[in-house]
Amino acid sequence: MSTLLTHIAIADGKIKRSSLEVLSHCKQLADQGGHSVEAVVVDANASSFVEGIQKYGATKVYAVEDPIFKNHMNTPLLKALAKVMETAKPSVFAFASTEGTKDILGALAANQGAAVLPDVSSFELIDGGVKAKRPVMAAKIISNTEAKSDTVIVSVRSGSYDLVENEVSAEVINVDFSMDDGELKATLKEIISASGDTIDLNEAESIVAAGRGVKDEDGKKLISELAEVLNAGIGASRALTEAGVYDPSLQIGQTGKVVSPQLYIAVGISGAIQHVAGMANSKVIVAINKDPDAPIFEIADYGIVGDLYQVLPPFIEELKKIKS
Amino acid sequence: MKFYVCIKMVPDVNAPLQIKDGQLIQDSDRQILNAYDASAVEEALVLKEKHGGEVEVVCIGSGKASETIRKALAMGADKATHIVTTGDKNYDSGSYAHILAKFFEDKEYDVLSLGKQSQDTDAGLTGSMVAELLNLPYATNAVGLEAEDGKLIVKRQGDTGQEMIELPTPCAVTCSNDMNEPRIPNLKGIMASKRKPMEQVELSSLGLSEDKLVPKTTVLGYEEKPGREPGKKFKGEAEEIAREVAQLLDTEANVI
Repeated sequence: MSTLLTHIAIADGKIKRSSLEVLSHCKQLADQGGHSVEAVVVDANASSFVEGIQKYGATKVYAVEDPIFKNHMNTPLLKALAKVMETAKPSVFAFASTEGTKDILGALAANQGAAVLPDVSSFELIDGGVKAKRPVMAAKIISNTEAKSDTVIVSVRSGSYDLVENEVSAEVINVDFSMDDGELKATLKEIISASGDTIDLNEAESIVAAGRGVKDEDGKKLISELAEVLNAGIGASRALTEAGVYDPSLQIGQTGKVVSPQLYIAVGISGAIQHVAGMANSKVIVAINKDPDAPIFEIADYGIVGDLYQVLPPFIEELKKIKS
Repeated sequence: MKFYVCIKMVPDVNAPLQIKDGQLIQDSDRQILNAYDASAVEEALVLKEKHGGEVEVVCIGSGKASETIRKALAMGADKATHIVTTGDKNYDSGSYAHILAKFFEDKEYDVLSLGKQSQDTDAGLTGSMVAELLNLPYATNAVGLEAEDGKLIVKRQGDTGQEMIELPTPCAVTCSNDMNEPRIPNLKGIMASKRKPMEQVELSSLGLSEDKLVPKTTVLGYEEKPGREPGKKFKGEAEEIAREVAQLLDTEANVI
């Protein structure tokens, strides 16, 4: 019997859904193969999340609690995860593929001499390792990749697996942690946050994404109205984040966030491959663009050929009617 | 500051591609400088122009990679090291990281800079691996760099906001392509690049043990992405089609 360990990421005092998706998948793999499924949470209030974690089937939860984990910093996180790995000795250590994960994944693998499969869209256990599907070449194709090692670290794209509740009572291991300033190496000076109440794109059920066609404040206002009606997160193409129209943390695409919501509405986005790489796995895609030949229409379930300034007002009004 | 910028030659992801018997075939065998690495080169050049110093590029690759290296030299890098591989080893991020760590072991520098990922595989591992192997403080996904009192100030894009991180030197940093627009080499730069020193280093001379380089991951083959069903396209009077699609999202797609 081997151990499948899942990292549980915390954002704004909440467990990230994408981590629970990964835990749900690990639980399923563990049930099939008779393995044990465990989880690790590293946070300033780590132990408060145990209840939410055991709901998804982890029978052992490692809680590493220290005020230093209030904000993401790679050195302490690496130290904590390495310590837990040395105790748990997992054959698979699975993460949700967040920016926080990307920051430490390679370093953790190098530190532990583990194999690593980053940003996969699915994975399964094979004899002596893990086999995974990875979108490559700007997510135009899938690479079937295997890793053979005593320990394989995997990070999984959000939306790759469904949440499956499976309540158990978990054994909680409180892991001692301390770090003195000398070990810290880097100093976090400041965090420049996008406004605090924006919806996390990785977690959002619906996303309204703005592209080059959104030219002015009126356009932005329409985007916000549409997002509000749908309780959707707002994203943007690289053109708009680079131009400073939207905050860089809202960028969707190969360079920015990779999202897979239930509903993705691309407004004034032409659909360059770098953008499509970040949203092609959305369940339902709606595209609004005045250029009938825009490549976004090739992947849209519903394509509206028209000027967004004319399309959005009646679209929003109709959605309001449906909602009420 | 002395910058080492690690660069990589990659296939052009914009070129058409096909899959035949699980193998990836591209119509053009055009290889380019990885866009993220180009941003790393650009940012190092900007800091050198501001504060002085030196920018040296390091590239692991087959003989053909010398074209990629020339591009970085033409942009303005001072010199280059080409770590020559035979190209049939299927190295993964871990293999590259071990080669780089061995190369940098006895080098002196302030900043070791890399693109945050390769645009063909999007793995994004090598930077933090090298940092760990060399025990360097590091930051990934940088969108801005500044040098201050011998320290590197990194603005990085995190999950919900941007983090300002101060790194003592020597340190490592991986760069996003959102930090700048890499300069296009002009004729003068291209001419000058031909006279700039490019040293070739064989893997054997780095004293690398082969077992460190055996990739832990193997690409078994490639496949098409599961296709999306062709959707419906609505043309005509804006108000009418807008309302129609809104209704369909509710009644047909069930996502409202």
